[in-house]
Amino acid sequence: MRTNRLSFKIIIRILTFTILLGASIFSIYYYYSRTEIEKSARENAVFLAENTIKKIEEVIRPAEMIPNNLSWMLESGSIPKDSILPFLAKLVRNNPIIYASAIAFEPGVFDSDVDAYAPYAYRKGDGIETIDLWSPDYNYFIMDWYQIPAMLKTSYWSEPYYDEGGADALLSTYSMPFYVDKQGERVFGGIITIDISLEWLTEIVRSVRIFETGYAFLISRAGVYVTHPEVNLIKNHTIFTRADELNEPELRTIGRDMIRGEQALTSIDLEHLGYVWIYHTQLPSTRWSLGVVYPHKEMFAGLHKLTLTIILLTIFGLALLLFLTIRIINHQISPLAKFASSARSIASGDFKTELPHVGNSLEMQDLYNSFDYMKKELAQYIAHLQETTSAKEKIESELRIAKEIQMGMIPHIFPPFPDLPEIDLYATLLSAKEVGGDLYDFFLLDDSRICFAIGDVSGKGIPASLFMAVTRTLLRSTADKDKSTAEIVTSINKTLSLNNESNMFVTFFLGILDIQNGVLKYCNAGHNPPILIRNKTDVRFFNITKAIPVGLFEMYEYTEESILIDPTDQIFLYTDGLSEAEDVDHNLFGDEYLLEVIRQNASASPRSMIEAATKAVADHVKGHTQSDDLTMMSINYYGKRNL
Amino acid sequence: MNITHKAIEQGIRVAIEGRIDTTNYNEFEQAMNLLFEEKTKAIYLDCSGLSYISSSGLRVFLTVQKKMMATGGKFLLFSMQPTIKEIFDISGFSSIFSIFDTEESALQHSPV
Repeated sequence: MRTNRLSFKIIIRILTFTILLGASIFSIYYYYSRTEIEKSARENAVFLAENTIKKIEEVIRPAEMIPNNLSWMLESGSIPKDSILPFLAKLVRNNPIIYASAIAFEPGVFDSDVDAYAPYAYRKGDGIETIDLWSPDYNYFIMDWYQIPAMLKTSYWSEPYYDEGGADALLSTYSMPFYVDKQGERVFGGIITIDISLEWLTEIVRSVRIFETGYAFLISRAGVYVTHPEVNLIKNHTIFTRADELNEPELRTIGRDMIRGEQALTSIDLEHLGYVWIYHTQLPSTRWSLGVVYPHKEMFAGLHKLTLTIILLTIFGLALLLFLTIRIINHQISPLAKFASSARSIASGDFKTELPHVGNSLEMQDLYNSFDYMKKELAQYIAHLQETTSAKEKIESELRIAKEIQMGMIPHIFPPFPDLPEIDLYATLLSAKEVGGDLYDFFLLDDSRICFAIGDVSGKGIPASLFMAVTRTLLRSTADKDKSTAEIVTSINKTLSLNNESNMFVTFFLGILDIQNGVLKYCNAGHNPPILIRNKTDVRFFNITKAIPVGLFEMYEYTEESILIDPTDQIFLYTDGLSEAEDVDHNLFGDEYLLEVIRQNASASPRSMIEAATKAVADHVKGHTQSDDLTMMSINYYGKRNL
Repeated sequence: MNITHKAIEQGIRVAIEGRIDTTNYNEFEQAMNLLFEEKTKAIYLDCSGLSYISSSGLRVFLTVQKKMMATGGKFLLFSMQPTIKEIFDISGFSSIFSIFDTEESALQHSPV
């Protein structure tokens, strides 16, 4: 599951980013699309309305021209009185748009003795009929179509009406006043009318289709529906009655604006249509008002459909992306798990472990190469380590043996002379390394004389230990009862100095103590002066004649000195591993402190004294690594005892 | 340990500072070996900065002394600290080396 966790992390990040990016891009797209659609819908609404009005006007304007021309002809008197009726019939016949036409004269205008005359031509079947409209039952002077334009002195379109029994169609009458010359005066002559069928108008307006349910409608100046998709509304309803019926006060407001002839785009939420836009404008000729209804929901239906498609596609795309990403990531990182298992295998020491196949991605190749390199290096390193370890073990084992040999060269059985009650002797040698350059030795020259020596080879380790072994061997081979200490040392020096290319040297103290009389003869070759403890109280360094260490100049002659040791006196010999022992801060143990330590243990046995000095050094260095070999020897002289 | 040297009228003046012990005596030896290549008649060693010397260091001093003697040159030590002087005294090396209290006295002892 480890790989899955990594892939999960990557996928979550990719998905989050993709979704956020997609969502923001889509939001921006949606916002702009919506704005664009609204804008173009607005433009389209205006365009539709204007276009419709233009179409209507294209019919109405020529129709209006007919009474205009007629009025001019009447005024100029170019139509003879007896030809008016045939003229009208001809006019109706020749203009299919006109259903009927009438010329209603004012009293005395047609003829001075005619009070009322209204010739009227209308379509009946395929022919044209002509009558006089006037009758006692039909006093045209009080009819709207006559009275209103007569009073207003302007042309007038009537409210739409249904002509039952005649045209059997929805009609509107265009009435227009005309004037005549009466004794040089231009006076009102009557009204010219044309009846126009509104069927074509309905067709034009009905042809306006907006999306699924959008439509156009026309209302008259009184708010009566002239055209509407719901046919039963036409003529029977006004926009106001409709507003009351639907209980939509806003529609009433729009209706008022419409009959005032205003041009506006209003949005309104109608219960039966939903949220719609209504654009309305006025017909310049009839001053009726055209409304275009834009269903809001449908306006954005395309966008919403597209949105849905995009969302579905996005979900599908994301699912695909998710699937592919998981596949790719798992495929790419699957070697990691194998690498982990290989690494464990390698860690456990199996350097023959095969590394996993990693495909061709650069990173994995790099990882593979690194792993491969690590594996090879590890194998090489381990092999090398085993080699050096075994070599080191060999050297260490050899050094251990060397140490045993070296330690075997110096006596270490104490007390060394149990048969000699005159002396007690103890000595220790602690090498800083496996083998060292310090040495001590003691042996009997004869029944009463004991020869003892302490030395320190320059340097440490194997070279020093070899030099030490040579020195000790020379001592044993050179010393005999007939030689003085100076002779022995001079002899050793001569032998060592020959061919001593490395300039190694030994500081060396050699003493011969006669236990019968306490005479101590000694020769010091550059070694630290031993300490003499007299009467278990008085502690001081030996007085030493200065002489150079052994091994440097073959012709050097050493001298012997002599001192008388009293019974109970004790001597303490040491190497500079004691006096120059350093603590962490390089503070030396020092001669003064050495004397102090010995003084405090002046009455101790040789062994106790050495142990005390050893402890004092350990306390001084406080765990600091022993830097030099440390050798001590102490001899307590008891004198000749009578046993 | 820090070793510096400069040529002077009488030979080469070497100044040594710090400790010479088992861990660095070979550096000292190599530095001195380089000086031999210049075949100088005298080496003046300023010991005022020498704070400690082990027997390994003394061995190098001896080597220098022997080499200078072999070529008829001189190895002169001066301005030794008391603790160092004591080591030289105890080991009898004071009798092998030419040791002077001051630089002036060492320089006055010009090589023949």
